[in-house]
Amino acid sequence: MLRMDGFSYVHAASWPEALALWSAHPEAMYVSGGTDLLPNVKHGLFKPRTLVGLSGIRGGVDADSDRVVIGATTCLDEVASNPIIRAMLPPLAQAAALVASPQIRAMGTLGGNVLLDTRCLYYNQTEFWRRSLGYCLKADGTWCHVVGGPKTCVAAQSSDTVPVLLALNAVLRLIGPGGARELPIRDLFRFNGMDHLAIAKGELLTDIVVPTPGPGFVGSYTKLRTRESIDFPQLGLALCATLEGGTLRSIELVLGAVNPQPKPIRGLEAFLGCSLDDAAIDAIADLVFKQTRPQESIAGDAPWRRQMAAVFTRRALVAVRAAGAA
Amino acid sequence: MKSLIQLRVNGEDVAVAVPQAWTLLETLRYALGLTGTKQGCDKGDCGACTVLVNGKPTLSCLTLAHATRGEVTTIEGVATPEGPDPVQRAFDVSGALQCGFCQPGMILSAKALLARAPEPTDAEIREALSGNLCRCTGYTKIFEAVKLAAAGCERHVPMKYGAPAEGFEVIGARGRKADSIGKAMGTTIYADDIQLPRMAHGKILRSTEAHARLLSVDTSAAEALPGVFAVITGADLPTAYCIIPWTPDETALAVGKVRYIGEGIAAVAAVDEETANRAIAAIRVEYARLPNVSDAAAGVAPGAPLVHEVDWKGRPWESNVCKEADLRFGDVEAGFARADAIVEDRWFYEGSNHAAIEPHCAVGQWSADGRLTVWSATQVGHYLHRELAKVLGLRTEDVRVIQPAVGGAFGAKSEPFDLEFCVAALSRRAGRPVKILYTREEVFYAHRGRHPMDMAFKVGATKDGRITAVESDILIDGGAYHSFGLVTTYYSGQLLTGPVGFESYHFRSRRVYTNKPCCGPKRGHGSVQPRFAFECAVDEVADKLALDPIEMRRVNVVSAGERTVNGLLIPSSGIVACLDAVERASDWKKRRGKLPYGRGLGVATSMYISGTAYPIYPNEMPQSGVLLRADRSGRITVFCGANDIGQGSDGMLAYIVAEETGVSPDDITVVSGDTELTPVDLGSYSSRVTFMCGIAAQEAGRAMGAQMLAAVAKAWGVDEARLRRGFGVYMDREDSGRQVSARDALVLAEAAAGTPLSTAGGYRTRKVGGDYRGGTIGASPAYSATAHVCEVDVDPETGIVRVERVWAAHDCGRALNPQLVEGQIEGSVYMGYAEAIMEAHTFNAQGLHSGPNLLDYRIPTSKETPDLIAQIVESLDPGGPYGAKEAGEGPLHPIVPAIANAIADAVGIRLRRIPFTPDRVLAAIRAGRA
Repeated sequence: MLRMDGFSYVHAASWPEALALWSAHPEAMYVSGGTDLLPNVKHGLFKPRTLVGLSGIRGGVDADSDRVVIGATTCLDEVASNPIIRAMLPPLAQAAALVASPQIRAMGTLGGNVLLDTRCLYYNQTEFWRRSLGYCLKADGTWCHVVGGPKTCVAAQSSDTVPVLLALNAVLRLIGPGGARELPIRDLFRFNGMDHLAIAKGELLTDIVVPTPGPGFVGSYTKLRTRESIDFPQLGLALCATLEGGTLRSIELVLGAVNPQPKPIRGLEAFLGCSLDDAAIDAIADLVFKQTRPQESIAGDAPWRRQMAAVFTRRALVAVRAAGAA
Repeated sequence: MKSLIQLRVNGEDVAVAVPQAWTLLETLRYALGLTGTKQGCDKGDCGACTVLVNGKPTLSCLTLAHATRGEVTTIEGVATPEGPDPVQRAFDVSGALQCGFCQPGMILSAKALLARAPEPTDAEIREALSGNLCRCTGYTKIFEAVKLAAAGCERHVPMKYGAPAEGFEVIGARGRKADSIGKAMGTTIYADDIQLPRMAHGKILRSTEAHARLLSVDTSAAEALPGVFAVITGADLPTAYCIIPWTPDETALAVGKVRYIGEGIAAVAAVDEETANRAIAAIRVEYARLPNVSDAAAGVAPGAPLVHEVDWKGRPWESNVCKEADLRFGDVEAGFARADAIVEDRWFYEGSNHAAIEPHCAVGQWSADGRLTVWSATQVGHYLHRELAKVLGLRTEDVRVIQPAVGGAFGAKSEPFDLEFCVAALSRRAGRPVKILYTREEVFYAHRGRHPMDMAFKVGATKDGRITAVESDILIDGGAYHSFGLVTTYYSGQLLTGPVGFESYHFRSRRVYTNKPCCGPKRGHGSVQPRFAFECAVDEVADKLALDPIEMRRVNVVSAGERTVNGLLIPSSGIVACLDAVERASDWKKRRGKLPYGRGLGVATSMYISGTAYPIYPNEMPQSGVLLRADRSGRITVFCGANDIGQGSDGMLAYIVAEETGVSPDDITVVSGDTELTPVDLGSYSSRVTFMCGIAAQEAGRAMGAQMLAAVAKAWGVDEARLRRGFGVYMDREDSGRQVSARDALVLAEAAAGTPLSTAGGYRTRKVGGDYRGGTIGASPAYSATAHVCEVDVDPETGIVRVERVWAAHDCGRALNPQLVEGQIEGSVYMGYAEAIMEAHTFNAQGLHSGPNLLDYRIPTSKETPDLIAQIVESLDPGGPYGAKEAGEGPLHPIVPAIANAIADAVGIRLRRIPFTPDRVLAAIRAGRA
């Protein structure tokens, strides 16, 4: 069995305590559900000396008329089944329900899913395997085997909930050694698979704040994967839009699992005020195809995944049009 | 950093000191001894380690013990003093437990589901179990078990609960397996569950080079580490071995040269696994890299580097072709000349791994008198016994191999592996028992899985559909060593000649050494690949001739009593009944070729051996032996060397002995797979166990039954002919009031014998097969027959193929227990479906595995696995026990070509390369290539 070795564990009962424990222990990392972090520790990708456990900090979902506030330690199965989220943010519930397997959803948290490490076929492997390969740019090496170069890491953003949260314009509440702050999730990600999160060392994500969509809201999350469970996305498509009698009043399309950061589609404002007819749908799908450049860092043929981005877009738009009309 | 934690496990508060880096899984298994929770993948990809934490299914391998709060429920905490939980019994009764290794986790996921949804829908069941991978069952019987549990299941059910076949008492009845309730309870002991006093933990240092000379292996730093008991290298175990004694080209650890990434170089034993890991990290290896052979085509290219310079006799290899078979039967040229339609093309079959959920594990221990015992998750205890003696330089009298329960095998555990030799050598040197458990990654390096095959096929037929000639040229990617390669090479040609026969045949197959983990016998050894090419080609020929594909197959069947073109005698065949059954069930005539675009039906057939006529090493001894021991207690103990790997051979032995003696199957104990206690059986491979052990058990059982009958007759002073046995009693035909129980018959028999009661039975090899070089390979006393129809849905925009359902009709001779036969059919179809749709055991140009774990190497979950509809056809075989023949491998073959043929029906494309990934399907649809 792959064993872990060489770290101690401390259990935090509150956010301030977690921060204090992290500050008190050198080379500490936070662990919540552990479903992303512990495989990386087992693979020798992370070598913490202390793990600060967050599982004692209660999550939960709260809402008022403007926004839904989700505690970062809320488990994904609860996000998927919570009546408030299902009623007000259906694509988020849908995305959470499509993460990995039932066990991982019962353990993994929304905060962990937002901060999920990027993934790559050459990175998420054992120490032995990576040594046989000659390591990679993201861990212990100097060469990216995906692009064949020494500069850019293209490990893929692989969270299912992130594209939806971007499309919903969520805001993250963070606390850290430098104090508390709010960060729009759109500003969280960088196009750098090695260092894809714009947060400081020791910073903690405490809440995810999602503005409540207005009337006429329609949305969905579509996931491409080989198996209908367990697998990470090979492509994720979040669609959030507002329809008023068939007319498009707002639209956000965000792709996941293509690049180190989620990919919001640009130029959609041109379609506002248009009727969501077949021609508009084809034009939007075409726009998505043009802007999508999936990398071979994860499973699934990249040119095919690019074609699927267009197919998924078309199908998602047809579905929301039907839902909006109903 | 060990420290004390308080846990609440199964309703009890426990305090235990474990390292802070330990998971809940390690703590449950190795600190608390709750070994019912299993470990399969190391890191959250398989679900075997599922426990409930506060009622929620949780992966204990990704939960830190020190972070665990609340109520933990393991499989041991599910039952109550009244007996098994209804869910556990439902799994047992439904045949949901084959190897049983995934089941504790599966049962806990099912418990959690039923707690929140007492009457779950099919979709809810599939979803709730979708994080628990099962490799044996195709999930079908598991779904049935959950429904039975929801409907309410008795806590206590007799072993035989169904109605037997006509004229029998036990044979043909649905029943529980001998060992399945223990598996459902979590009490069955698998190799990694063994904990011996002072036991050390071993690890094997593996090569990071695909092909290199070993310049030096410096173990001094490892030996100096505190807590390290022993270190060995290839020099300590230099004797070459091979499962096939003619081709010993492998050593326990590399000697002089490494030939694949992952090959063992040195091994250590230490006080714990963490120390062993540090020790192997401290070993310094100096390599001189050599150019590597990346696949079979590269291996036969002119100037290719040689994977092996010399063979086992010191003769230089001139190429990497380690075995070639080239056989001709009839006039192939004339056959093609007569043909009205010929299809000629190339097919490629990708490699795949068995991916049994239990990783290989072995424990070695020496007695004070220098005798070795090895417990190993093996399916060939007898051959392991011989090879251990050979490599360790011991007398066979001084070696004992015990096979604990095996958590799935499928051919993965059918030859000796480095860990078995290493636990033996390390425990000798350390003076204490040593255990080695592979990581999932090591399982992929040990491999011995499906050979990739590049296959040129030519098939010709006349207008009436009669196949006049078949020709093939097959290049087989063997990996670094021989394994069963000699057999594989012949099987790739020899096993194709039925149930659809042909008039002339030429095959040439070459197996090539490459610098990759060694391929070997995966379920359907050697014959699944050419079956794909052939059955697709037959479909194409049918298309060209405008014949119905089922009808075309009917025209060509080899009937019972006939010989195939290569001389295999087919004593029984139910292939026509199989074709009829799937044609009817799928409504073929109304629907094939007539469904809307994107929907299709496809058919394919196969046959498979029921054991090999000849043992792996030539000898005149029985291939299988059974001893029975009985006494006045009324219980019979069956001793047999057979390796139950989850297929249910222990139960099969009990049913047969029960049938022959009148003793209830509940009153029969089976002791199997222990080379010191049980008579030799050659092992669980080549689908031989039911046929051969079954005959041995029948013979031993009949002898015991005869003694019992004679003793009753003597006690009553009547002629034996007046007695009959039935429903567990011996009775007087002429006085129905006079009867004794089987138990009392045993009392009388023991008294009459004046000795303990003991009988023996054996299976002796019958001479069959063709009278030519290679003619014994593929020769079997009996052949099964199978036909599948499957229905697919192809999304023409995405290329995603969804296999909706499979009707699989299999002729198993006689179903001794139909439930187990169905389980074998369903599991086979599942495994073939997986190969067709998603599995690919692939490597980069440097010979590095593309993803040796169960997240990158995907095996299907409960959600996408098709509806599997198993249909049993019984064509009683004259040589088999009660007419039985194999069921465990034949039904895998047809599903792959059946899916390809269904895709052709759905969208008009012919796919010639597996797996049928959506990008390939979409590209083929767009190319409009037919």
